Amino acid sequence: MLTVVKDIKNQLKVTCISIKYALMREMINKASFLMNIIFMILNNSCFIIQWIVIYSLKSEIGGYSFKQILLLWGISASTYGFAHFFFKKSFSLSDTITNGKLDSFLVQPKNVLISAITSEVEVSAIGDMIYGYILLFLSDINIFKFVLFTLFTICGGIVITDFAVIFASLSFWIGKSDTVADTANDLITNFSTYPDGIFKGLSKILLYTIIPVGITTYIPVKMLTEFKISLTAIVIVMSIILTLLTFGIFYKGLKKYSSSNLMISKI
Amino acid sequence: MKKYLYIYKSEIMSSLQYIFNILLNMVGYTVLVFIFFNLWDYIYEDASQLINGYTKNQMIWYIIVTEMLWQASGARKLCRKICEDVRGGNIAYNINKPYSYIGYVISSHLGEMTIKALITIIVGIIFGMIFLNELPQISLIGIIIVLISAFLSILINTILVTAIGLLSFTIEDASPIYWLYSKVILILGTMFPMEFFPKIIQTIVRFSPIYAISYGPARLFVNFDIKNAVVILITQMIYVGIALGISNILYKKGVKKLNVNGG
Amino acid sequence: MTIIKVENLNKTFKVKQKEKGLKGSIKSIIKPKLNEIKAVKDINFSVDEGEMIAFIGPNGAGKSTTIKMLTGILYPDSGSIEVLGINPTKQRKKLSYEIGTVFGQKEQLWMHLTVYDNLKFFGAIYDISERETEERIKELSKLFDLQEFINTPVRNLSLGQRIRCEIVAALIHRPKVLFLDEPTIGLDPVVKENIRKLIKRMNNEYHTTVFLTSHDVSDIEKLCKRVIIINNGQIVLDDSMTNLKYHYLDKKVIEVKLKKKVDFNSVDGIKVLKSKENNLKIEIDTKKTDLTTVLRLIDPENIIDINISNTPLEEIISQIYRKE
Repeated sequence: MLTVVKDIKNQLKVTCISIKYALMREMINKASFLMNIIFMILNNSCFIIQWIVIYSLKSEIGGYSFKQILLLWGISASTYGFAHFFFKKSFSLSDTITNGKLDSFLVQPKNVLISAITSEVEVSAIGDMIYGYILLFLSDINIFKFVLFTLFTICGGIVITDFAVIFASLSFWIGKSDTVADTANDLITNFSTYPDGIFKGLSKILLYTIIPVGITTYIPVKMLTEFKISLTAIVIVMSIILTLLTFGIFYKGLKKYSSSNLMISKI
Repeated sequence: MKKYLYIYKSEIMSSLQYIFNILLNMVGYTVLVFIFFNLWDYIYEDASQLINGYTKNQMIWYIIVTEMLWQASGARKLCRKICEDVRGGNIAYNINKPYSYIGYVISSHLGEMTIKALITIIVGIIFGMIFLNELPQISLIGIIIVLISAFLSILINTILVTAIGLLSFTIEDASPIYWLYSKVILILGTMFPMEFFPKIIQTIVRFSPIYAISYGPARLFVNFDIKNAVVILITQMIYVGIALGISNILYKKGVKKLNVNGG
Repeated sequence: MTIIKVENLNKTFKVKQKEKGLKGSIKSIIKPKLNEIKAVKDINFSVDEGEMIAFIGPNGAGKSTTIKMLTGILYPDSGSIEVLGINPTKQRKKLSYEIGTVFGQKEQLWMHLTVYDNLKFFGAIYDISERETEERIKELSKLFDLQEFINTPVRNLSLGQRIRCEIVAALIHRPKVLFLDEPTIGLDPVVKENIRKLIKRMNNEYHTTVFLTSHDVSDIEKLCKRVIIINNGQIVLDDSMTNLKYHYLDKKVIEVKLKKKVDFNSVDGIKVLKSKENNLKIEIDTKKTDLTTVLRLIDPENIIDINISNTPLEEIISQIYRKE
């Protein structure tokens, strides 16, 4: 038991150093570092105009008030930002696998998946996170909501990462699958910025199951408006289960890893 | 001109290799259109209601077309390619080649996008027919004019994005500028027709490239009018000229800087 | 003591084949044609403690595949591997504390960080305490002459310095076995020589077992006492370097410049390689005729210049490749 705790401590330490070093690399050029963050905030702000126009036509959309839409956008942006900042490489993991770039992580005595996905950070994702919190402050905020929002950001960010890793892991079996993974990741981003109330039937069921937007965004928004311990627990439990599943799939695939020997020969 | 046509043709051929990726991209396009279908379906109380002069079906067709035009211009990829060419120094190798870099970029990019554009059109029409059960009222000549206008829209977008990419000569990273460009077009051109905005913004949109890239061709498709068509086509031609001028100036300025710095 | 033990090791890759054009693309999606390539076929060998072993073979022979299976990167299809008594497939993490790896074509270092920061990072990866790491960095940088650039970012180093740092980074946790995959690839001769010296020094100092793959025959000649040659996935030779030379050095090459021409064509065991006026290049098969007989044929008075040499190792090895 003690060794497990020590293992986790050491893993966390290495992960933190890795992220710190990756951030340092991005900060070499200060001007472009800041510009990336600021422009991402501006970029996201553009969508407020979309919702101002829509709410000028109708006072509620899919059961959401304008303030709730801000919260929806806030949660979407911060979960996206969290995942892309800390785990940037999970969104191009398919390339890492097919180009044999897992080698250097495989010879280190640390978790391969964690090392691989934390080896780079996305600077603009800092802008996404900041934007998420700005929107939170624009809605009714108190300490409890702030903590809850942060909790959902972490859970949601991890779920988005899990989803990306699962799709990227397909590369172990079928070779290049980056387009499949990109398509799947865009799916989450697109759905998570619209209220679930506008969807009906099958699409709504999908959003709470296979496409995990329900867990990453819809339930969190409801919890921030009207807190329920049971649904919050479901979000946490689901994120843990999905993460375990992700590690399982990745490590199962790793047995099929072919380093840089995977080639497609043309006749 | 002949060599650009050859570049264009060979890019079409090589894009055929990625047909599977193109089909996957269609999933993304369909999902976006599906979301907007649900959104407007929720906002409109019934099919006969008019919002800012648009029926529900017209509104959704408008988005099918604008989203199609944006997808088919592959702007993000183009911008990234040019930024990399400029920053990676690839562009230096193009200086003493017997073709213009801008001509090369445009013809190869359009070639790369042709198959995708055709497939997007088919997918968009099928989506509209399934979810809306009807095409807008438009004659065969109307359709041909809309297709010409759509081509011009993609051409203008391509040249403007090339110009943005060439900004990397002056600023370290042009991608933030591209984000803003794409977001302004998305909000003011793709998501809503300009009639949805206050008068002042309408005027701005009317005299901005958004009119030529998004609003013009989509408006023609949902509500065809020959007088309007002439205005839109002329506006688009003017924009092709302006955009070509801007990107040529940026290229020449950039190359000069390159010579001074020795690449 | 046996450090590495490999028995009946096999690895097959499936390679997707794709035909040209649109039809080919669609076909490869619907019904991909898979070709099986046997990269490693039933190989057996073992390595003892402190040995420096060269693992060589032409491109695509299975060198890298084998080294990747030994280090736990690839899973073998069948057969057994034991490195320090650990199965790399099942106990990858445990093994990685005991081994060091350098892949010549892949950087493991952070380019924007100084050498010192990099080494500290690797210290953390192997759970070495900060103080201990500092001490080891001091020791290694002295031994391998890193002092002058220890505080320089890696991206500002020359390729040779960088490889030196890669090797030192692989030694921070004092591995018992060091795997080097093409460590001198792309380096100029002087730097290559430096790297070789470094590897030798390390072997002397720490008695680290070294498992080295290379294209460069001089790497092997200068470093290793034992050589394993692999071709088409099979081991074609596993012998000591002296034996290799002894057995395959049955041919001598003589280049002579003569005053008067001599005819060697009729002598058994002599092959004329080149003959231009009075300049001759002949190859002698010492199994059929010995050197003195040949020299007796040339009157010493007749010689302007003479040079007797062994067949270069490079040629010996390519002969071995061709035989298989």
